Amino acid sequence: MVSGVAQDTRLALPKGVMLSRTAEFLNSIGLGFEDYTSKTRIYRLRSQTMPSLCAKMLNERDIPVQVAIGNYDFGICTSDWLQELQARYPASNVVKVCDLEYDTAGIFLAFSRNASFTEDTLRDSDSTVRIVTQYPALAESAAYKMRLKKFRIFPLWGSAEAYLPENADLAVISAADEAALAAMNLRAVRKIADSSACIIAHREGLQTADFSRILAVFSSAFTGSGKSRVKTPAPSSVIDNDYAPAAANGNIWLALADGHQQVHTAAFLEKAGIKMQGYSKDDMRRRPASNMDGVNIKVIRPQDMPQQVANGNFDLAVTGKDWLLDHLYQFPSSPVVELADLGFGRVRVVAVVGEDVPADSIEGIRELIKSGKLTPLRIASEYVNIADKYLRDRHIARYRVIPTWGATEVYLPEDADMLIENTETGQTLARHRLKIIDTLFESTACLIGNRLSLDSTDKRAKIEKLVKIFRSIAG
Amino acid sequence: MESQRCKGARDLLAEDMERFRQVEDAFRNSCINWGYREIKTPTLEYIHLFTAAGTLTPAMLSRVYSFLDWDGWGGERIVLRPDGTIPAARLYSENFSGSKIARLYYVTNVFAFEETGKENREKWQCGVELLGDGNPTSEAEIIGLALEVLNTLGLAKASLKLSHAGVLKALIAELKLNTEEKADLLDEILEGNWQALSKVNGNKKIAAAVSTLMNLKGRSSGFLVNLAAMPGLSRSIVRELEAFAGVTGLLDTLGYKYEIDFTSIKGFEYYTGLCFKIRANNTKVCSGGRYDNLVGLVGGGNVPACGFALYLDELAAQVRPWSRQKAEKTVIVRVDSAGAESVKEAFKLSAALRSAGLIAELDFRGSQLDARWEISVQEKKPGYTVKDKIKNLQKKAADTNEVVNIIGGFGKVG
Repeated sequence: MVSGVAQDTRLALPKGVMLSRTAEFLNSIGLGFEDYTSKTRIYRLRSQTMPSLCAKMLNERDIPVQVAIGNYDFGICTSDWLQELQARYPASNVVKVCDLEYDTAGIFLAFSRNASFTEDTLRDSDSTVRIVTQYPALAESAAYKMRLKKFRIFPLWGSAEAYLPENADLAVISAADEAALAAMNLRAVRKIADSSACIIAHREGLQTADFSRILAVFSSAFTGSGKSRVKTPAPSSVIDNDYAPAAANGNIWLALADGHQQVHTAAFLEKAGIKMQGYSKDDMRRRPASNMDGVNIKVIRPQDMPQQVANGNFDLAVTGKDWLLDHLYQFPSSPVVELADLGFGRVRVVAVVGEDVPADSIEGIRELIKSGKLTPLRIASEYVNIADKYLRDRHIARYRVIPTWGATEVYLPEDADMLIENTETGQTLARHRLKIIDTLFESTACLIGNRLSLDSTDKRAKIEKLVKIFRSIAG
Repeated sequence: MESQRCKGARDLLAEDMERFRQVEDAFRNSCINWGYREIKTPTLEYIHLFTAAGTLTPAMLSRVYSFLDWDGWGGERIVLRPDGTIPAARLYSENFSGSKIARLYYVTNVFAFEETGKENREKWQCGVELLGDGNPTSEAEIIGLALEVLNTLGLAKASLKLSHAGVLKALIAELKLNTEEKADLLDEILEGNWQALSKVNGNKKIAAAVSTLMNLKGRSSGFLVNLAAMPGLSRSIVRELEAFAGVTGLLDTLGYKYEIDFTSIKGFEYYTGLCFKIRANNTKVCSGGRYDNLVGLVGGGNVPACGFALYLDELAAQVRPWSRQKAEKTVIVRVDSAGAESVKEAFKLSAALRSAGLIAELDFRGSQLDARWEISVQEKKPGYTVKDKIKNLQKKAADTNEVVNIIGGFGKVG
C-alpha cells in the first residue's frame, strides 16, 4: 500500500472540474505543483516547496475511497463524495480536516418544476417513487427518513436532472443554490446537505503519524486574508432542461450521449441525414428536436443507457458495446439487445498490469497469485461487472474489484495490481509504463433497444425504420 | 491459519447444534401443545416490505443486507430477511382470508449488519404470532407460552418487563409536533434514546406526565390505574393506559410476575400496544408485543395481532449440551478385523441396537470414542464382548439379542 519512501506524505488531488480552482488554492498557500494543470500528461506530482510531499491526480469522486483505504494520507475533493461514502460505510477510515471556501453547493432532494405532487402525496402514495441520483447512499437515507413506502433508486453516472419528470419522480442532485436548481427546471423539496471543497485525511494516519508540517501549511489557509483565496468562480454549464408535456404521446424515446461521445454521435447522425436542433456544442438541450417523425430524444450519459432501456424509460439508445456488456453481465436476463453496430468510437477493452510485473498473460497472473504474490489481486476498473466476470471466469482467487470513475491508469502500481480499461491506441498505457496482458473484446458505438418495445406493434414500425437508417450508414 | 469464514458469520459446531436443537425442541413442543402451526418464509424479500412507516426504523434499514437481483434492472432491491414478524404478517395477509385467527410459529435466521464483525450478523429466532385476535387474552396467552418454554429450558428465574407502545405514541401525539419532528423523535426513542423526549419543547403538562411515566416502575395493574387517574392526562392517553391495565389485570389473575417500566423497550417500531421483554441471567432472551397495524401495512386488512421472538443464540448459550446424555445411550461397535464377515456382523448388530433405541456408532479403526458401551465383534464364536465403561463390567454374547439384553441388564438406558 505504501509507495516509495515511507516518510512521503501522499496527497490525492482532483482532476476535472475542480482542478483549476484547487491549483489556485494550493498556490495561495505556497503548496503549488508545477504540473498540476488540466493539460498535464503526468499524473505523479512532487511539491517543489515540500519535497517529501507527492501527489497523484484522481477523479474527485474516487478520492474519499482512496483516502479511506489508506492509499493516500490526504485528499482534496468536494465534501458531497465524502458524505456519500460515509452514508454507505459509516465506519470508513476517513475524516474531514477542514472545509475550503470554493465549489460550494447544496445536495438537494428535488422535484421537477412540472411535477403535480407534493412531499406529502409522495409519502402517502402506494405506488413506487423513482429516485435518480449520483448519490445512491444519500438518496437511500433520505428516502428512509421520508418514510417512503415504496421507492427505487437509479444510481447514475450523471445528468440526473434530464430524467425528471418523465422518467423519475425525485432527484438527489448537487446544485450551487436554489436558483441553479431552477435553471435545471427543478424545485427543492429540501436541502439534504451542504457541500464544498474540503481537505480530508486517512483517520489512522492522522492518529499515528506526524503530519504537523503539512497541517500547518493547510492551516495558513485560514489566517491572514483567509477568505476567498480562490477567486475564479466555478463554471456553470447548464444544459437546457425544458419539458414539453404534449410531445410524448405515442412517440418512441431515443437516448443520445452527452459528454465526450456527443461530437461523434452528432457526426454520425448528420451522415445519416438526420437534422438535429439542440445537439451541438453551441446549442445543447436535454430534449433536442429532430426531423425524425414519432421520435422523442433525450440526452443522458452513455453509461446509464442500458439500464434505462431495460426498465422501459427509453426504447432506443446510442451507447458503447462496453457499457452494454457491463449491463448484461450484471443482469443476464435483461431485455436489452444490440440492434446495430455503428462502427465509430472503436476501443479495445484490455487487462493491464505494470511493466515490471513478471507475467504476460492472465495465466501468468494466476501463477503469481498461486506463489503467494499479488493476493488478493486488486483490480481497478470503471467496468465493475466486466472486471468481476472476467476474473471469476478465469478462476482468479482471491480478488477485489475497486470501482473507479475514470482516470484509472494512475492507480497502477501502488493503488491497484491490474486494470480493466479501454484503450484506443495503447499509447497512454505505454506512457504510464503499463502493459496489456489480454484483450477482452473490441467495443464500438451501437444502437441498443428493448426486446419488449419491439413486441409492441405501435412502436415496432418506428423502431424498425430508425434501425434501418442507422444500419445503412454504419454498414 | 487465517480463517476463510466471512466476518460476522459463525459456524455452529456439533455441541452448539445440540444446545440449539434443545432450545428449538422445547419451543416446538410447547407451540404444538398450545395449538400453533409451523411456517417458514423465504430468506429473500423485497425491501419495500420493510420501508413503510411503522415497520422498520431508518437506523435498522441502514443495516439491512440489500442488493439488486440478477434481474433487478428495474431497481427493485432484495433484502436478506432482517426481521421475522413482518414476513409472517405478509404470509398471513396473502394466505388467510378475512381476519381468521391464526396461531403460527417459526424458527428462522435474521440478518443485520454489525460494524465490528465481532457480533453475529446472522441471528436465529424462535417466533410466535397470534393473528386475528384483539382480545387481551392473546397477550396473556403468548406471554404464558414464552414463560413455559423458558421454564422447560430450566430458566425459571426469567424476569418479565412490560411497556406499552400505545401509551408512548399517544404521548408523542399530544406534543403536537409536525410530521418530520414526530418521525425524528420516534426514531430516537426507538433507538432507546429516551432523553430525546425531555428535550422536546411544548406542553408543560405533557412533559410532567412524561417524566412521571419514565421514572416510575410498577408491579401490579393498580399502578396503571393510579397513573390513569393522575391529573392533566388527555383522554387518548388515559384510554391507552386503561388498555394496558386490561392486560396486566389478566396477568395478575394468572399469577405472572412482571415489572412495568416504560423505558424498558427499545425498537418497538411496529408495536401498537403492549410490549414485553424477558431477561434470563442478565441477558435479553425474548421480546414481543401487540402490532395491530402491521398486517394492513404489508397489504392485508385490519387485523389485530401479537407475537414474540425468543433469541435462540442467547438461549442456546444458557442451556447444557446433550453430549453427556447422548454418551449414555451410545454403543461403540468395534471391529478389529476388516474381513467381510466381521463387517457384515457389525452392521447387523448395529441395526439391532438402533431398533432397540440405542445409538450405534461403527468403529473400524480403534479410535478412542466417548461412549458408555463398547462391543468388540470377533470372528470366532461366541462373537461379541460387551463392555460397560461406567460400571467397568464385561460379558461375552453369542448373538445380537443377547447383546441387547446384556445392555438392558447392566443399566437402565434413559
